[in-house]
Amino acid sequence: MNTTTHRHSGTRRRVRQALPIAAILGATLLTGCQQVNQSLTIGDMASAYNREIFWMSIWAIALSIIIFIGVSYALFYTVQKFREDKHDAPPAQFHGNNKLETILVAVPVVIVILLSVLTVKSMAVLNPTPNQATKVDVLARQFWWNFSYPEVTSDAGGVVTNGNEMIMPTKEAVALTVTSGDVIHGFWAPNIGGQRAAMPSVKKTWQVDNDRAGVYQGNCSQLCGASHANMRYKVVALDQERYNTTLAAMKAYRAPEPAPGSAEARGFALFMQGKASTGAVACASCHRVQGTPAAGVAGPDLSFFGTRRTLGAGMWEAMTDAQWTDAKAAEELHAWLKHSPVVKPGSLMPRYDGGEYMVQGKKVKGGTLTDTEIDDIAAYLRSLKLPEEADYWKGTPVHGAPDGGTQ
Amino acid sequence: MTVQHAPVQESGARPGLWAVLKDYMMTTDHKKIGTLYISTSILGFAIAGILAVLIRLQLAIPDNTFLVGNTYNQVLTMHAALMIFFFLIPIGLFGFGNWFLPLQLGVRDVALPRINTFAVWLFIFSLILVVLGLANGGAPGVGWTFYYPLSVDANQTGVAVLMVALTLNGIASLLGSANFAATVVNMRAPGMSLWQMPVFAWSIFATSMLQLVSLGGLTAAALVTYLELKLGISMFNPGIGGVPVMFQQFFWFYSHPAVYVMLLPYLGIGAEIASTMARKPLFGYRVMIYSILGIVLVSLLVWVHHMFAVGLPEAWQIAFMIATLIVAVPTGVKIFNLIGTLWGGRIIMKSPTYWLVGFIFNFLIGGITGVSLGLIPFDYQVTMSYYVVAHFHNVMMFGTAFLAMGGLYYWWPKMTGRFLNEKLGLAHFWLFMIGSWMTFLPQYILGLLGMPRRYYTYPAGNFAWTELNFISTLGALTLLAGGIVWVWNMLQSFRQPATASPNPWGGFTLEWTADSPPKPYNFAHDFPTTFPTERPLYDWEQSGETLTPVDPKSIHLPQDSIWPFMTAVGLLLMGYGLSFGWFTNYHPATGLQPFADASFAFKLATVVLYLSFPVFLYSLFKWAGTREYAVPVAHHHLTKYDNGFMGMAWFIISEVGLFGVLIAGYVYLRVSGFAEPPALRPNIWLAALNTLILVSSSFVIHRAEQDNHHGKLTRFRLGLFVTLLLGALFMLFQVYEFSLFGVESDWKQNLWQACFFTIVGLHGLHILIGGTGVALPYYQSMTGKMDKYNHGSITPASLYWHLVDVVWLLIVAIFYAW
Repeated sequence: MNTTTHRHSGTRRRVRQALPIAAILGATLLTGCQQVNQSLTIGDMASAYNREIFWMSIWAIALSIIIFIGVSYALFYTVQKFREDKHDAPPAQFHGNNKLETILVAVPVVIVILLSVLTVKSMAVLNPTPNQATKVDVLARQFWWNFSYPEVTSDAGGVVTNGNEMIMPTKEAVALTVTSGDVIHGFWAPNIGGQRAAMPSVKKTWQVDNDRAGVYQGNCSQLCGASHANMRYKVVALDQERYNTTLAAMKAYRAPEPAPGSAEARGFALFMQGKASTGAVACASCHRVQGTPAAGVAGPDLSFFGTRRTLGAGMWEAMTDAQWTDAKAAEELHAWLKHSPVVKPGSLMPRYDGGEYMVQGKKVKGGTLTDTEIDDIAAYLRSLKLPEEADYWKGTPVHGAPDGGTQ
Repeated sequence: MTVQHAPVQESGARPGLWAVLKDYMMTTDHKKIGTLYISTSILGFAIAGILAVLIRLQLAIPDNTFLVGNTYNQVLTMHAALMIFFFLIPIGLFGFGNWFLPLQLGVRDVALPRINTFAVWLFIFSLILVVLGLANGGAPGVGWTFYYPLSVDANQTGVAVLMVALTLNGIASLLGSANFAATVVNMRAPGMSLWQMPVFAWSIFATSMLQLVSLGGLTAAALVTYLELKLGISMFNPGIGGVPVMFQQFFWFYSHPAVYVMLLPYLGIGAEIASTMARKPLFGYRVMIYSILGIVLVSLLVWVHHMFAVGLPEAWQIAFMIATLIVAVPTGVKIFNLIGTLWGGRIIMKSPTYWLVGFIFNFLIGGITGVSLGLIPFDYQVTMSYYVVAHFHNVMMFGTAFLAMGGLYYWWPKMTGRFLNEKLGLAHFWLFMIGSWMTFLPQYILGLLGMPRRYYTYPAGNFAWTELNFISTLGALTLLAGGIVWVWNMLQSFRQPATASPNPWGGFTLEWTADSPPKPYNFAHDFPTTFPTERPLYDWEQSGETLTPVDPKSIHLPQDSIWPFMTAVGLLLMGYGLSFGWFTNYHPATGLQPFADASFAFKLATVVLYLSFPVFLYSLFKWAGTREYAVPVAHHHLTKYDNGFMGMAWFIISEVGLFGVLIAGYVYLRVSGFAEPPALRPNIWLAALNTLILVSSSFVIHRAEQDNHHGKLTRFRLGLFVTLLLGALFMLFQVYEFSLFGVESDWKQNLWQACFFTIVGLHGLHILIGGTGVALPYYQSMTGKMDKYNHGSITPASLYWHLVDVVWLLIVAIFYAW
């Protein structure tokens, strides 16, 4: 009984000291490496979403530290004081203490009420989506993402869509609406806000935001098959003006028509028609390219592929300003086109080296293209570029990327 | 205070391996059954632990290629499934439960010893079945949560066998739980009221109730998934209006309470260790029991917190958030009271105490992080991340598993007559303690730094990911070293002579009056009938009451029988057939194909499936035809109901739970307008006729039971015969109705029809099970196995039949009338 009163007065004293300490500790832990602006973390305080969570949690963090210290102190003090070699007296045979028990129930109940109120308050801030928010539709599939802008219909027809790289404006709430085309996936880009499950035939809308322009990492957070770990995407937050420029360019964009006889033109033909004689399926049957007849929906949108700097939903993402002309990038792209399921486990894109891959639980033989033909397709893909002013990667700082730094 | 027997050295030659195995196959001894559970669990822990090390080796460095893609997912799934269903649930509830519940209650066996034999072997066979999956297409790689629709993704393997194994495991678990509940209610030592039971006995009782209420959720989830794999029937398929999230509702309705199934027995063990080692009564015994019961109740109301990020209606989220936070209150009370029990004691600092103190400290962190996950916006961020992985390993691996170890060190002398080596024990403890911290604390930070769970690889360059993952892997290797020390400690103890006295720690509960290890009959004495508190040995020492010796020759135990084992073998074969074969050659990706085109393994499994029915039924009837006791014995039970009835009454709760979950799902789909009946639907008139048939059969069997009670055996037999006849008639009509409805429209295209076939079909299966149940006492009566001392299985069979009838009335209301 003695120790209990002792502990409680101690608690009160500690509260005053603990609050600032807790705040500092919590902030350090949550914001991770805020100073260098480099990390993938839920502690990114440039996001109002994360700030709300942090200020909601501060009480919980403080209470947790108090409870942790208090209870572990009580535990180790008890064990030290009453261990046989230090305490030889016959133990008192008491059966409990109802007053103490009542306190030990009442105090946690009060804490529970406090935390519930805080939680509900934060939910009221975070969960409603402002009507004016920029809308982005997110489609998740094994194992890639499509981000489309339902309010922006392209001049060439169809909704503006980008695969695996999501562009959003800074300093305002963005309303994401997520769904899945097959199994359940999870959208999680910690720097801009919380997760939502992507479920087939269900659409869920929630808001995210970040004040600071930059490229952030996003991941699939729900086990979805062999390449769950390779289902990554980039969130590119652009300042309002630049966002508008980019979207306008995307709206006006039509895939460039390759010059007759060029590698791009040969690649274009293969892209659209495949090569029936060797069983090579046309790229267009699965992929869409804005401004061309290619309107497939079984794979990610390739309209702006030449501007993108990631390949295969994050299979390779260490690109430089040289973009796809970089030797390493060209090599990766070639390997990807040749045999995507070899590069990425469980990839549903056909092989073009004649090898076998799994579709619907069965082994299927892919078609064949020569290395030159594959390079032609790569050349065509490289040509699918937004105008220079709409290159959303250029000069945008990258946070939490493998190689880091400004691209 | 106790009768101190000198340990008697067993003489004679050591029995051969086959003799030992045969003994364990036939035994009804709850201690041997407990040993089977514990050894199987330790084996499960060893396999799952090695898989965990493999996982950590893959994640030790970025872009590693040791386990890639589905291979990694399979290792991951097996790690979790084995840890949960073949270690943490069984070792506490059924391992220690079987060993010590009867001993603590001062009785010689559980209520239904042969059901116990059957259950343990079914449990072991479900493990064998999962492992056999490796030779039949591969292990499941969908996570132990087998979320829909990933579970029916054609590129996945091994899901069917996981579904079947979990169902068999579940049946074993329910039978075991019903058995414990019946034991507690019907079989305590004379004079011991519920409020004088040791806290461990209470925890087993509470856990059993929790299993019985909630396990239906898992069975329902597994059943619906299985039916889609084998028949294309699905309640979840979004293509026809089904709701994939409903799978998660079903699944977590069990799998969250399962967390407490993995906690409560260990809290009981912890309380026993604390009281014994501090040489004090429990601090707040009643409050601790209320806490346990409070946890049981509230744990049934928190499952949605696994699904906050799904985006359910906010009122739902908030309600379940509050319940989630409230669970912390009784759990906190348990922690405070454990410390209170140690307070003022004279604490024996031996290895069990270390495990207890380690548990309290670790569980404190796990509890606090658990509360943080209840704060919904924070949960939106870290759910499905390594933060969650760290949290549940915190409460399970270096929480409750620490008390599993504590229990093992505490009761090892009682179970084997030998002590575990103290030095090795402490080495084991510290390796586990340091290893757990190194493994899992970095994972908390990884979660905050955005690492999602179940990733087989990660790129280099993310802030601190590489370093933290590497530390975590070093921790896993430390745990492996701890595990090796532990296994060595157990093996070396068997090389020592059995020298432990009956009460080596100075414990206060009845198990410490038995020999170490106990004789098959447990106690060669009767107990005083006054139980002032939950510590009878202390009380009797104070009051000077003594034990009354009993001549062991006068004690009769149930006779051994091979038939419960063989019945379980029947189910193993059936499970094999259901997992790897089927009546038709159906595959979700390709649809129905000619049976001749199936693979050889599939055909073989189908043959095994057909063979399993005669094996199962023959063994079951042989079992029913074997008397429980070789000599007439007057049974002792505390209530007016016999043990069979009592066990069935508890078991029925689980059936209500199973139908309740499925029906709730159907009603939701119907009310929300997703499931609309097709124009041509089963006729209400046929259902009405079937209702008449089934209700009459209920009256007939009730009458028959009365006739048996009054010794009118001929009428009794006739009554059972008529019941069986009516059941057969019902089935005949139902088969006709099903065939008609199945032809009229395609169950793959209509959600209402899918619900109908799932639920009404499950009821039909229950008619078959119930009918088999009624056939058993009929057979017993016809072969003259029932008399004044042997009541046969009429009371449970009749009770079950009534249940099946009641469920039918509900089904008529919601499927035929609505």
